[in-house]
This record gives sequence, structure tokens and C-alpha cells, in this order.
Amino acid sequence: MLLEVNNVSKHFGGVKAVNNSSFTVGKNEIVGIIGPNGAGKTTLFNLISGNFPVTNGNINFKGENITNQKPYILCKKGIGRTYQVVKPFGNITVLENVIVGAFNKINSKDEAKEYSLEILKKVGLYEQRNQIGKSLTLANKKRLEVAKALATQPELLLLDEVMAGLNPTEIKDVLPMIQSLNDDGITIILIEHIMEVVMTICDRIIVINHGEKIAEGTAEEIANNDKVIEAYLGGEATNA
Amino acid sequence: MLLTQTIISGLMIGGIYALISMGLNLILGVVRIINFAHGEYLMIAMYASFLLYSTLGLDPYSSAIIVIILLFLIGLATQKLVIEPILDTPASTKIFVTLGLSIALQNLALMLFNANHRTVHTAYQSKLINIGGITMSLPNIVAFISAIVIAIALYFFLQKTMVGKAIRAVAMQRDAAYLVGINVKRIYILAFGIGTALVGLAGSMLMPIYSVYPTIGTTFVLIAFVVVVLGGMGSMFGAFYGGLFIGVVEALSGLLISPGLKEAIYFIIFILVLLVRPAGIFSRGKGSEEVGLE
Amino acid sequence: MMNKILSQKFLLIGIILAALVPLIFDNRFYLNIFILILLFATVANAWNVLGGYGGQLSLGHAIFFGLGAYTSSLLFLKSGLSPWLGLLAAVLVSIIAGIVIGFPTFRLKGPYFTLATIAFGEVIRHIALFWRSLTNGSMGVNIPFEPSFTNMIFKEYETYYWLALILFLISLSFMYWVDRTKVGYYLRAIREDQDSAQTLGINTTKYKMIAMILSAGLAGAAGVLYGQYMLYFEPENIFNLNLSIEFVLIVIVGGIGTIYGPLLGAAIVIPLNEILRSSFPMLNGMNFFIYGIVLILIVAFLPNGLLPFLKDLLKGKLLNRKRVKSKIVED
Repeated sequence: MLLEVNNVSKHFGGVKAVNNSSFTVGKNEIVGIIGPNGAGKTTLFNLISGNFPVTNGNINFKGENITNQKPYILCKKGIGRTYQVVKPFGNITVLENVIVGAFNKINSKDEAKEYSLEILKKVGLYEQRNQIGKSLTLANKKRLEVAKALATQPELLLLDEVMAGLNPTEIKDVLPMIQSLNDDGITIILIEHIMEVVMTICDRIIVINHGEKIAEGTAEEIANNDKVIEAYLGGEATNA
Repeated sequence: MLLTQTIISGLMIGGIYALISMGLNLILGVVRIINFAHGEYLMIAMYASFLLYSTLGLDPYSSAIIVIILLFLIGLATQKLVIEPILDTPASTKIFVTLGLSIALQNLALMLFNANHRTVHTAYQSKLINIGGITMSLPNIVAFISAIVIAIALYFFLQKTMVGKAIRAVAMQRDAAYLVGINVKRIYILAFGIGTALVGLAGSMLMPIYSVYPTIGTTFVLIAFVVVVLGGMGSMFGAFYGGLFIGVVEALSGLLISPGLKEAIYFIIFILVLLVRPAGIFSRGKGSEEVGLE
Repeated sequence: MMNKILSQKFLLIGIILAALVPLIFDNRFYLNIFILILLFATVANAWNVLGGYGGQLSLGHAIFFGLGAYTSSLLFLKSGLSPWLGLLAAVLVSIIAGIVIGFPTFRLKGPYFTLATIAFGEVIRHIALFWRSLTNGSMGVNIPFEPSFTNMIFKEYETYYWLALILFLISLSFMYWVDRTKVGYYLRAIREDQDSAQTLGINTTKYKMIAMILSAGLAGAAGVLYGQYMLYFEPENIFNLNLSIEFVLIVIVGGIGTIYGPLLGAAIVIPLNEILRSSFPMLNGMNFFIYGIVLILIVAFLPNGLLPFLKDLLKGKLLNRKRVKSKIVED
């Protein structure tokens, strides 16, 4: 198991954003996390990536307990993440954006630059490499977000709603990119709302509601799971 | 007895700090901008008060209403002409623009009035009142009472009037305020105007007590920021009590440590508060995201 | 590749020309201005590392400048230590001050960090005024004019000029280092988005500290030379908020976050100081009044400063002349 989340909870005052969630992710899987809005998915990511400390529980990565370790340490250990609301480095070029990420494992600037150019080709941003971050379209900003994380050479990549805000054509472009990352050996956990994406590329899907895991399984199993249907559509639908 | 005397004097001057801080708090809480020129409004108010005295013979209390209205208008103008255009710019721009404003205003005053301390001379400013063995100066008492009156008035205004509620709505949840049809731009302008008017009152109250000089703003603005951070940003009562608290601390440190370091004390408090409890002592921890604790 | 060789040649020519300045302008008035330009450009470079690249806008750099001057001067006056050695002590003191200030304030956002640096500055100014037994209070520090190499006091302005030039070039080399290597990239990332930077493996506190150490140390060194040149300073002028503002103004006018911006800014602001002072001798405050307006205008209309603006102008002209559509070469 690459990642083990064990009975993790996160309380904000009285609110239990994440409540006793447990799951594992194996090497080279693509796992999807879905659930209604406000279910606690991004909070879960924040706990794994070290942005928030847990209230209870622990998280293991490659057999090591990484609970509450800081984001930059986890990045060095091989966990990368993207943000739902993209955070490009607006006033420097696309290439420079990625070079920042590359420095995570590479010390020489020339090497970092070479590597970054490769990454840009991979995500399809090579042509825009000299544009400054804030001038990109949303779809390209999303690619940049992935490129930055990719440059850090992660073993586990957390993608938080990468598809949000993209039109169907753009989604069709980004999907194969994610698949190719997985083909290169990167384990991926993605939060998504767009069902076709999740159903298409995920090996396994975890469903979260009210901070708790309510179901887990393959796309088919999830689609037919009563609890899942109830969570999305409300109680009546299951009884109908 | 000396101790009690010192504390009381501190409370009195704390009233002025409270006025300045409530003004800053209103602006910070609503418009969410750190205006480095906030202290210069105090300076402008005091110079205005001084000018009305030296040219028209009006003592600061009589001219207070003029000064308040003047500062109210200046506040409206500042929001409309200076702040509004930069609301969507990066933080550094906001810092430098308001800083530039502060520098320009300070030095404008320096050119017009030179660096000499200016004071007014009225019959009442050296009057002392003795209550139960405690001696207080009349201007200090007036300042303190005005602070209390304004704090109460402000409370009722914000809690009970439609406009006041609109202001609180914008401070709490700007986006929701838009949705319920509040003209947020106008609220910003109003809040800035009122916040600055409060400083105007403080200036009028301060004139019989202090002298005015071009850099007086820097001194007081840091006190105001100390108070606001101390009182918890967004809490009007926090700003009020915080002002009194700082007044007392300043007076006590003048007594117990040294008059020379008196001014340094509130900067030290500022640093301590920022480090230890950025959200302030009175608030519910709301301030920490504003201060950007990581 | 062509660009790199070209700019290296320009740099070399620039240094040679700069070294020859005292031979051309053999005049105390002009040399004074050049010396001040170099000293202020050094501090501006120092500020630029923390503020321009790192995004931490300090209004307290007079602290390090003043601490540098006080440390070496007091060691010299009280124990006869040569300012050359005092320089090392001064840099150390400034660095320690930087760490002490940075440690609690780096977790504050934007304007609150700036306010905190102002507060620290005021505290230090008051302490310097108050601690008369150490600093001589408001009377200031007076270094007797006894020229000698070990005293770092010179009769000829040229020597001061060349020392200032060497110090500036040292600061310039640090600027190149910051701009071209990992440190600079990481600082810019921190400036642009701290959360994202953390997620990319950047220990933001560590790198802010690195920037602070470099920034404070350089400013302190410049302070030492300033003290040795002016031979007099006191808390009101050397720990003054206005001085901190002047450093920042220089960087903003010249070009924040660029290698040569601070130099350009100093080359404009320092002579401007002189011009304004002599044009309006009666109006104390005219300088800074104009600086306040300039600050607003630059930030509003030319937020990146004059250097990038001039660069674009030049590029535009050259491209037009060639009338060739060429790809922008990444150097």
C-alpha cells in the first residue's frame, strides 16, 4: 500500500469536516474521490498533503507515518498536489513556474530547465512557455497547475477537481494526459464532480458524504450502491 | 494613590485611542484595506482644529463639528478617489499607494506648517477637576466622555439602523451582501467616511491635550493598529476596550519604567500582540486569517 | 548564448567606466553624489532580495543600516577596533537583528509584516535615543577625523568612492546569484503564492530567512561605510522611517525584482534629492512630498519600475529598425 489513511478526522470547532475516514491507495492506482459538495473531499486532501493538521487518526505513506508533516516535507517525500482554485505564479513565465517545481529534486538550474521543458511538452504547454502565468486561459492554468506538481517528481499525485471549469472539449484533452501520468508510474488520487471522468479512468472510487466514507468500489459497484444514490439524490430516490 | 491616578489618566487618554481605533476598525472591517495614511487623518484634523483656532478664534470643542464634517468628506473622497481604484490590485500596490499618500500628506503639512509643535491656548485646557482625591484634567475627561458617547452611538447605529446593518452585512459577508441588493460600493464610501470622521473627533478632542506636528500621525496610527489587532479586528467593543487598555498601559509604563520609553512601549506591545495572539484578546479568533497566520 | 556574452562585455565595460569616474569627476560635490548613489544602491539591492524577489515588503531596513553604522563606530570609539574588523561585527549584528525580526514576523501577511517592521524600527530608534550611555543618545556618534587606512577614514573622496563601488559590486554579485539560481526562483514562488510554493517542496520560512540574512548583512555593511564616510550620525537620521522609505522608493522607481533596478533608482533619486534640496531650500519636506506622489504614480502606472519600461522601449525600437519577425530567444 502506497497510502494508508487510518481513522482520520478533522474537526473545525463543532464541525466534523472529516469524520473517521479510512482507505488505502495502492501503487499505480488511479483512485477517484467523489461526493456531494461540502462532503469534506478537499479537506481530506489538505490532511494528506499536510496543509491542515488532523484532529485524530494517522496517515501512512510508503510505510512511514506522515501525519501532520508540513507540505514542503511531504513534497520532498513524493506527494504532489494541485489546487481546486488554481494558484499559478502569475508574474513569472510558464517555464519559470515549472522550474520552481523541478528544483524539488534537481539542483542545477540548467538541468531543471531541461526537465521543465520536457514536462511542458508532456502537458501540452510548450508553446506557451514564455507567457507569464497570469495571462493563461483557465484550461492552460489547470495544465500549468499539473505541470508544476509533476516537475517535483511525485510518486503520489493529488488532483483536486482538475476538470472544474473546463468545457467538454478541454476535458477530452486533459483526460489522456492524466492517464499517461499514470502510465508513467505515478499513483493518482483525484477529486472530481464530473462522473464520466471518474467512471472512465478510475480503477477504484471512494464516495464521501458528511466527512465519512460511505462506499468504495469499482465504477459499477458505486453506480448501483444505494447509499451513494441516496447521498446524491436524497432519500426518496432509493425508496422509489 | 499615584497608581490609581496614573491608571485613571491612562483611561482618559485611552478614550482618544479608542476613537481612533474604532474608526480604523470600521474601515478595516468593512473595506478590508490597511490604510497607511490613517494616522494622517488625525494630523489633518488637528491642524484643521488649530487653524480654526488661530484664524477664527474657535476653540477646539466649538469647531469640533466642523472638523468632523471636514474629515467625513475627506474620508468619502479618499475611498472614492484613492481606494476604490486599487481594491482589486495586489497587496503590494495597496501598501505603496496608501504609504505614498501618507508620505505626501505628512510632508505637505511639513511644508505648510514646518516642524514646530503647534498648540492651542484655551481657558479650560489646564483646568483640573478633583473627584474623590483623583485629579483629572478637564480635556481628558471630555475626551473620555466623548469616546463613550460615540461608542454607544456607534453601537446603536450599527445594530439598529438599516444602514448600520448593511455595513455589518458587508463586513461579515461581502458577497452575500451583494446578493441581497446592498450597494457595496456606497457602503465602502460611507464606512470610510464615518471611520475618518471618528478620527476627526479624536483630533478635536486631542488638540487641547497634545500639540500637533507633521509626524504625529505615525505615532498614533501605530497605536491604532495595536489597538485594532489587540481588540480583535472587526470587534467594535474590542477596539473601544483596547484603546482604554493601551492608554492605561502607556500611563503605567511611563510611571513604572520610564517616561522616555513610554512611546516605545506600545510598539513593543504591538510586536508582542502580533506574535502571541494576532487575533486579539477580545475577538473569537477571527483575526488570524486577516493577519495571515500560517 | 550571444546575449550572455554581450551582457558580460557590457558589465565589464560598465565596471571599468565606473572605476574611472573619480578621474573624470575630480570634484567633491559630484563624487559625494556618486558615493551616496553607490551606498544607497547597495542597500536598495539588499532590500530588493527580501522585498522584490521575496515579496516581504520591509519598511525597517534603516534598522540594519543604522545597526551597521553604530556597531562598527562604537567598537572603534570605545575599544579602538579598526572598522575593517568592526565591519565583520557589524554585519553579524545586522544579521542577528534580521533573524530576530524575521522569526516572529515572517508568518504575518503583507501589510501586517510591513507594519511590524515599522514597529521594530520605532522601537530601535527609541532605544538608541534612550540608551545614552551606549549610544550617546540624541547627540549621536561623532568620529574624529583622523585619516588612516586602519581607521577607514580617508582624506580623498576617491578612496571612499572605490570602497563604495567594491561594496556595490559585491551586492551586485549577490543579486546575480539570487536572480539566476534556485534561491531566486524559490523566493519568487514565495512572493507569488506561498501555499503553492509550500506544496512544491519549498520551506518558505527557511528561504525567507536566507533572504533576510543576505538583506540585513548587506545593509549593515553599507551602514558601516556610510558611518565612516559621514563621520557623524544620530538616531533621528539613521534609524528614521523616512530612510527606510527612501530605500524602498529607490527600488520601486528603478525596477522591483530586477538586478539593475535598484542602481537605476538610486541614480535617479539621489541626484533628485540634491536638486530638490537646492531648488526649494525653504521648503523642508518638498523632497518627500514629491516622493509620496511619485510612489503612488509609479505603482499605479509603472508597477514594474523604470528599468523594464526602458527595456521594452529599447526592444521596440530595435525590432522596428530590423523589421524582421524573430522568435524571442530564451537566453
